[in-house]
This record gives sequence, C-alpha cells and structure tokens, in this order.
Amino acid sequence: MLKGLILALCGFVLFLVVHVLVFRVYAPRLRFMAMFRIAVVTSLMLVVLHRSTPPDLGFLPSQYTGAGWAVDLLNGLLVFTFLFVGYCMFYFLVDRGFSGRMMIEIETSPDRQLRAGDVAARYSIEMVLQRRLGEMLEIGRIVERDGRYVNTPKGNAAAAMFAFVKKFLQLGEGG
Amino acid sequence: MRGLLAGLMAFGAYFFVQAAVFHLVKISRRAVALVGLWGACLPVYGLVYAALPDDREVWPAALAAPSDVVTLLCGGLLYFFLFMGYAQFFYMAESSVGIRTMVELAAQGERGLSLEELTKRYRYEWMLDRRLDRLIHAGYLVEEDGWYRTTARGRLSAAVLAWSKSLLRLGLGG
Repeated sequence: MLKGLILALCGFVLFLVVHVLVFRVYAPRLRFMAMFRIAVVTSLMLVVLHRSTPPDLGFLPSQYTGAGWAVDLLNGLLVFTFLFVGYCMFYFLVDRGFSGRMMIEIETSPDRQLRAGDVAARYSIEMVLQRRLGEMLEIGRIVERDGRYVNTPKGNAAAAMFAFVKKFLQLGEGG
Repeated sequence: MRGLLAGLMAFGAYFFVQAAVFHLVKISRRAVALVGLWGACLPVYGLVYAALPDDREVWPAALAAPSDVVTLLCGGLLYFFLFMGYAQFFYMAESSVGIRTMVELAAQGERGLSLEELTKRYRYEWMLDRRLDRLIHAGYLVEEDGWYRTTARGRLSAAVLAWSKSLLRLGLGG
C-alpha cells in the first residue's frame, strides 16, 4: 500500500505547484473549476504512473509491496482525493473566509484594533452578498432577471438539500 | 480492503451517531461536539478492523492487502479524511452566506429577491458578533472595551491568509 500513498503525496505536491502557477500566471475567472480540472488531470496521471511503475518503485522494502495493484491504486486515489478536499477547505478559508477577512482588516487597521461597527463599515453586508451572488451566477446556481435574483433548478436542489440538513441538525438560519 | 472497509464503516457509525445527537439535542459548542464524537467513535474503527477477515480469505488477489501496519494506518487515514470532508460540508450548511442566500431565494420561488430585499433578511450585526465571538473563543482575537485586537495566534493566521491571498492573486476576498 506504500506505493499508492507515495504516488498520492507526490501527485498532491504536483497539483499544488501547477495550481499556484496557473493562478499566478493566468488568474482564472472560474477559480474552483480550474482547480478541479488540475486535480482531475493529476489523478489521471496517477493512474497511468501507478500502472506503469514497479510495485516497489525501485526503492521500497519488499515487506510493503505485497498489496494487490487494485487496492493499492484505490487507496492512493482516495488519499489524493481527500488531500484535494482538505486543500479545498483551506482554499475556501483563504478566498472566502469571513472571519479571516475580519482578522486581516483588524491587523491592517492603523492602530491594529477595530470595533465591530468598523469591521461592518469596511466590509458591508452588501459587499458580502454581491460577491456571493456573483459566484453563484457564474456557477449557474442562480440567474438575474430585471435586478432580481432567482434560483435555477440546480440552485433549488442545493437549497432544498441544505435546508433539510440545517433543520435536521438544528443549525439555525446560519449565514 | 480490510483497512478501507473498517475506516468506511467506522465513519458510517460516526455519521449516524453525530446526526442523531445533533437532531435530538440543541448543541451550542458544535465544533467540540463534532470532534468529540469523532474521537469517541475511533475505537469503533479498531473493533471493526479486528472483526473483519484477512483480505486473502475474501478478496481476489488484486484487491487483497496484507493485514500489516500500513493497511491499519490507511484505514485510519480514511476515517480521518472522511471526517474532514464531512466537517467541510457541515460548516457549509451551518455558516455559508451563499447557501443561506439560496435557501432565502428558494422560499421566494420565481419571484426571487433583489439585492436590497436580500440584504434586509440578514442580521449583519448578529453575523459579525457570532464570528467575532468564535475568534475570541478560539484565541485569535481579544476584546477590550468594544475594541477587537488580534492575539499572536491571530496575527500569524492573518499573515498566512494574507500571504496566501497574495500568492494566488485572490484579491481581498471574504
């Protein structure tokens, strides 16, 4: 099982390098889609590499090369997928994190301290919503008609699923 | 397969226990409950792993792995990763402004909402206070006479986030 793990880790490092390069050089408009595509291509490369290299990768101890190729590949792909999912958590925190933005606003203020009202003035609810609405328009969850926003069927399905989860787990209105 | 199946089954057990607890009890410290329950279900992984037969007895050669420490760790890793993925989904449902927006829009059907109408539905002060309280509780901020300042931990996090935003050219974000 070590071969799959090592290839998954190498694949994830490769994904990170390509992702940073693409974001720095091209600054894609549909950012998550770009990340997702890089991850898919990397995972396909993982499959090819896994099938075309020896079980010991030329250096692994023989006691760790006894797993069947399919379970080793499955394990490697799962690890790569979850590393990508974990990185997405970090990425969304950086890109959209409300709390992170508040800390940056406080840290970059002249006296490095703010009142709640100052934070609201620097980052208003209109700004928060406009950003989210823009993103949801781009990914087809909502449409704009005469200045009004309406869910698409895709948006309604997501809303119904999350409304159920919020209610079932007693998470409140949230947001 | 033994480790992967044990990890998957242990996560299944965690998922049902967590869903039942959150459904039956109104929990205020949700992160503590999520992580605590995950930790409490960890022995389930060990029990399931011990109960499953060796791969060579049930699976074809391509899907069989020796029952060694790597297999045991890989299953544990899957149990951990599934939890991380679920936590991401959980917090999306709990805190995401975008998700809340879609739920608000769904309630209006084809009529939808304008930005102004949508804005009125949010209690922004409550949203901010909730996040500020969490940041204080987690040790990122301190509050004194209504003024919020970052702690050393908060400064480090803000610096990492700002650097990452700059590296990936993400703009101010938030």
